[in-house]
Amino acid sequence: MTDVELAKKQGEMQLQGRVAAISGSFTYDETAYHLPISFALTGTAVHDKSASQAVYAKTGNNPIVASECLLAETTARNGKEPEPYTGFISDTVIRKLGYSLVDGSILGLALIVGRPDSAGTAAAICRELQEKYMLTFLAGEVIPSLSSAGVKLGLDYRLIPLGSKPAYGIHFVDIIARVAMMFGGVTPGDTHRLLAYAAERAKAIVIVFPGLTDEEVALVDGMRVLGFPILTSRGYEGGTWISAGPGDIVRKGMDEKGIRVNVTAIPIPMGCSPAFEGKSIRKEDMYVEFGGGRSPAFELLRMKDAADITDGKVTVIGPEIDAMKEGSANPLGIIIEVSGKTMKKDYEPVLERRIHNFVNYGEGSWHVAQRDLIWVRLSKEAVAKGVKIEHIGKLLASKFRMDFPSLLDAVSVTIITDPAQVAAMKKEAEVIYEERDARIKGMRDNDVSTYYSCTLCQTFAPNHVCVITPERPALCGAISWLDGKIAYEMSPSGANQPIEKGTAINVQNGEFEGVNRFVKKASHGEIERCSLYSVMEYPMTCCGCFEAIALMLPEVNGIMVVNREYKGMTPSGMSFSTLAGTIGGGAQTPGFAGISKNYVLSDRFLQGEGGIERLVWMPAQLKEELKVRLEKKLADQGKAGFFEKIADENTATTIEDLMVYLDSIKHPALGMKPLV
Amino acid sequence: MALKALDIYKLLPKKNCKECGDPTCLTFAMKLAGGKADVDLCPYLDDNAKSVLGASTRPPIRLVKVGVGERNFKVGEETVLYRHEKTFYHPPGIVFKVDDTQPDEEIAAITRRVRDDTLTRVGSELRFNGIAIENTSGSAERFAHAVSVVEQQQAHLPPVLITTDPAALSAALVHCGSYRPLLHAATSGNFKEMCSLAKLHGCPLVVRADTAEGLVRLVKDCTAEGIQDLVLDSAPENLGAFLVRSTQVRQLAITRAVPEFGYPVYLDCEKTGFQDAGLVLGISKYASVIVTRPLTPGPAKAALTLRQNIYTDPQKPIQMTPGLYRVGTPDKNAPVLMTVNFSLTFFTLQGYLETSRVPCFMLIVDTEGLSVLTAVAAGKLNEGLVRDTLKKFSVENEVTHRKLIIPGYAAPISGRVEEATGWKVLVGPRDAAEIGDYLHETWKKEAGA
Amino acid sequence: MTYDLAFGWTGTIGTVTLGATKADGGSRKVSWQIGGGTTLPFMEPPPSSPSPLIAFEICDNPDYWSPIIRNYCGDIVSSPAEWAKAAEQSYGADIVRLYLTSTKARNFSDIASVGKTLEAVLGATGLPLIIEGSNEPKIDSEVFLKCGEAGQGEKLLLGTAEAGRYRSIAAAALAYNHAIIAQSPIDINLAKQLNILLREIGVQRDHIVIDPYTGSLGYGFEYSYSAMERIRFSALKGDADLAMPMICSPADTLTIKEVREADAKDIDDVAIAWEFYTGLAAAAAGAEIICVRHPKTIGMLRAAFADMKKLPAAAEVR
Repeated sequence: MTDVELAKKQGEMQLQGRVAAISGSFTYDETAYHLPISFALTGTAVHDKSASQAVYAKTGNNPIVASECLLAETTARNGKEPEPYTGFISDTVIRKLGYSLVDGSILGLALIVGRPDSAGTAAAICRELQEKYMLTFLAGEVIPSLSSAGVKLGLDYRLIPLGSKPAYGIHFVDIIARVAMMFGGVTPGDTHRLLAYAAERAKAIVIVFPGLTDEEVALVDGMRVLGFPILTSRGYEGGTWISAGPGDIVRKGMDEKGIRVNVTAIPIPMGCSPAFEGKSIRKEDMYVEFGGGRSPAFELLRMKDAADITDGKVTVIGPEIDAMKEGSANPLGIIIEVSGKTMKKDYEPVLERRIHNFVNYGEGSWHVAQRDLIWVRLSKEAVAKGVKIEHIGKLLASKFRMDFPSLLDAVSVTIITDPAQVAAMKKEAEVIYEERDARIKGMRDNDVSTYYSCTLCQTFAPNHVCVITPERPALCGAISWLDGKIAYEMSPSGANQPIEKGTAINVQNGEFEGVNRFVKKASHGEIERCSLYSVMEYPMTCCGCFEAIALMLPEVNGIMVVNREYKGMTPSGMSFSTLAGTIGGGAQTPGFAGISKNYVLSDRFLQGEGGIERLVWMPAQLKEELKVRLEKKLADQGKAGFFEKIADENTATTIEDLMVYLDSIKHPALGMKPLV
Repeated sequence: MALKALDIYKLLPKKNCKECGDPTCLTFAMKLAGGKADVDLCPYLDDNAKSVLGASTRPPIRLVKVGVGERNFKVGEETVLYRHEKTFYHPPGIVFKVDDTQPDEEIAAITRRVRDDTLTRVGSELRFNGIAIENTSGSAERFAHAVSVVEQQQAHLPPVLITTDPAALSAALVHCGSYRPLLHAATSGNFKEMCSLAKLHGCPLVVRADTAEGLVRLVKDCTAEGIQDLVLDSAPENLGAFLVRSTQVRQLAITRAVPEFGYPVYLDCEKTGFQDAGLVLGISKYASVIVTRPLTPGPAKAALTLRQNIYTDPQKPIQMTPGLYRVGTPDKNAPVLMTVNFSLTFFTLQGYLETSRVPCFMLIVDTEGLSVLTAVAAGKLNEGLVRDTLKKFSVENEVTHRKLIIPGYAAPISGRVEEATGWKVLVGPRDAAEIGDYLHETWKKEAGA
Repeated sequence: MTYDLAFGWTGTIGTVTLGATKADGGSRKVSWQIGGGTTLPFMEPPPSSPSPLIAFEICDNPDYWSPIIRNYCGDIVSSPAEWAKAAEQSYGADIVRLYLTSTKARNFSDIASVGKTLEAVLGATGLPLIIEGSNEPKIDSEVFLKCGEAGQGEKLLLGTAEAGRYRSIAAAALAYNHAIIAQSPIDINLAKQLNILLREIGVQRDHIVIDPYTGSLGYGFEYSYSAMERIRFSALKGDADLAMPMICSPADTLTIKEVREADAKDIDDVAIAWEFYTGLAAAAAGAEIICVRHPKTIGMLRAAFADMKKLPAAAEVR
């Protein structure tokens, strides 16, 4: 057992002594980067004793620099090692390797040094690295050990034997230094950027077997500075190396460094494509069904700690498809557990909604509704092809990983068909649904400091900027604040960007300094100010996708709302389509605002104009659609009875009729502060 | 900066008298803000309000009408420098030029060609707009004769009379004076006479000067003479000069910085030495009357098409008429592909279908110009629409099979379409580029099955 | 009173260098620099921004090419090297754009042939090259590696990166110091997004040429025209993620009905007219590399560009 700390100290001292004794001149052919690590760190071209010592001193007696100089000296004196050892690798090859890294055909780099317990252990680790698209460099006795097990080595096999001793592992670092200079825009001598590149961009891990000399321990331990995780399964103690079992070491290293394998194919006996999304399964084509009022069923997606999830694991609890009677309805619970460094609890419901799409992507699986209302069917055809419950789990696990690669690190799926367990878990899920509802319902604009933009419509409305807040969804009604937030997490350069709202300029109108700054920039300088809660002053721009329009009716001192579906005339003298044609296209039109239908239910609606009592007219169909929720809200606010005062096309389609009507019922808007 | 509807509303009488033709003052204010109504329509405005509104709501570039009757064209009333900011409203009139020295039969033939040539694209009939006659001979008599030859063809085309000689112009106007010809051109040397002829016959007049200062001075002079319908010729000697001056005129006009630039622009391509390039730049960079020599078939179609493209409202995609379109000569077993009536979608798909060489039917449903993705999201593209369109165009009589290929992005409605129509629905690719492979592989298999 | 224009631009179009001469480690006879504009296209006096470049498009498997061009160019189309030589010496192009259409063949796997073709074309012409790599995502990695390697030192312009498919081409640009074409489907926001993705992977701004995609005249060209105007506008307004030169290829015009089905006697004139009208309008909107497939379009564009570069003496546009 080697004590890492002790060995490192002794190794560093030995290296110091040997650097002092360096002699002769040394240089590598086939590179424009001299001794690449020394060159990258300091900008100095090292070819002899004095330069070596100078760089060594300048880097604070760094063991990596020492190892690089010493190996260069040795190589100059003794020549290159014979085949299969590659020794120092030329720039031309590095360029190709770098290409594969950027290109994504190699996911990362690994270094294995030392003497494995058995050839089998080393071979298994190498096989796993190959399967996971890692390019592996080898130094020391691991090489003859692999050869003896018949493992083929070479660039084509993504296993590169650097040299006979672990000290040759220094070439692993000189390769990364050169990749940083060639691909990462790191200029020689810019230590800071080199370290940043190595830590953040270079996806490298180091696996250490026993048998390293003290100097070699110092070298390997020195690589921690570059952000490489050092992993070992046996033989070392102390220090900050990560220990892991041989079966686990590759996964752990890759996890540590955030190297992810992308799933591309789903190993199930059914097609999986968005093209199948709309296919329904009729009763006569159905093999079995779940939920839909015929049997208890639910679905739940929740976040867990990474340690509690085995990625890709699919468990079926209860009878499989072959134990179910054709044409029967059966209980079902779909539980998806996910983890990810950037995953947040708030995202759960948004991701959960994707279960619907993904199940429908399956050729022969069908899904409607959500939560404990789901209804799922599997077709006879699919079951005849061998599709089982388990495959639906696999489909879900794979699709979540494929579609949310940057958000989710691990996904596991449990599908329950056992009646007792479905009943038990369903209760648990219902508690979670309620908690979620309470949380979202309670979310206020004031609770967050970041809103989200949507500029998807700039394609045809060049200066339009939608500002999405928890209480004001996008005017198309399709994107909530949470949707915007997740879209940004998944695609940081996409159409949904965070907006720091900054200090308030006008609290009532919802005008914020940060929002103004963002809107000005995103509208290419066209729009200077934007009030989130006002129709009259600096309202948000309108693209063309709004579900409804809120506009002033100065004659009655009120605001009317008309939705897209309403084809008739409104008291403003304009129909929806005339209005839409006039205010759309990304313009800001005071007195007019595009809104989503649900925004009418928000406490922020018409805040700038004094509140919902400004609302004087709305098409009957929209009133009906919002009735239950709006009446409840009004009642909560002590405004019961106001709903009846909102006119519609049955009471007035001209401004004159509206004036008469509002007068007759004493609509509160008439007594409010003048709009214009 | 144009006034917003709200600002305008504040200046209006707020009587809702309806005498302007609009139901409310607010509606009228909206129209004024969009430059779609005239302040003078309101009888109750005080002078102060009128002058404030007039200056800011009157179109920054004057609308000028050339010619009379069915073939007249109107140019001007543009409000933006880039079409994406709003749209370009009035496509330039493209006018073929003849010399008065050309033989009568040539002049006649060219006139008849402008009268008859029509290119039908996306449901619109595209035509050249008029005949320009240049007084190359220097003889007033010859000029008048050439104009009479044009008029004898009964083409009723807007004429452009090119001469700086008031006597020649006067002689020519005998033949076409009442048809609102465009007179070219008033210069610093002849503007008084030209203005009096323009006034006499009620014609629009081109003013020509090769500097900005010169143009402004001439515009001032001519308006002082009482001529309002002016067109500007900055006499560009090359394409670069045209681009710079035309941009200058447009920008300073729409910002109302130089009111004298608030008139349509004239370009004679020949004077730049580049006929095709002149047309391209004239169409895209703000010319409103473009004079060119008669074009051969290639450039003729390209010019008309470019003009149609540039003057399409970018916020309102061109829509195709819904219906059943044929690609090649499809038989009763040919595939039927459904898609939306957004013209870009239609043409893209049609192009790839033609390339695939598989004769087929395209069933175009009315989504009001929305693309597939948007139409599905908005619920416009739904099973009812597909069912009704299939029925309306009797597709069941055209093919013996009952299989409908729908766009990949319409997949979410495939099941419902199947239910509603009883047709088997096949989901095609999302990208039209893949339709060829799809027809050759998937459809072939499907048709064989 | 002055009538000069003042737009108040704050940004400048970035520059991109295409082709490397011997002095810069390549073998091209010329090297072009595009970009550098500070106002609207053709509004500033030379030499601050050069005329647009004219690229002639060729391919290594003419089965995928328009018969109009095959008939006009003759047997030469079966030899990319001969064709490239003609592009330089007979047709008078500034750049040769080689489409590796051979990679379209089903199950194409002869990657070595790509390198050979490229070497032959490099040997046949001294003009800078644009290389359009694979048409099949599965072979992207190998094809672009081969292109990058074979053109090392020549500062090629490699095409075409798209949002879902840019890693291989970015890798080739980074590894062998080439520039790349970033194409987005006629949408300014997607163009910007792709440029950001490329930046994140390490491609420098001065190695990117934007292709907003050119729809054919009559079939969506207006969208491309406005996308170009908007990209130029945003760049001049200071959006650095859009401040790259643009490329336009009206290749689609050769496949539309109006051109394909024109009378045999007119067909060349029609093809040239449609290429010319599209290419010139794109240049007026801001494109700085105009690609053509008909040799006769080249001279027309060149003459027009030269004349558009002439300015009235007193003009000043900022």
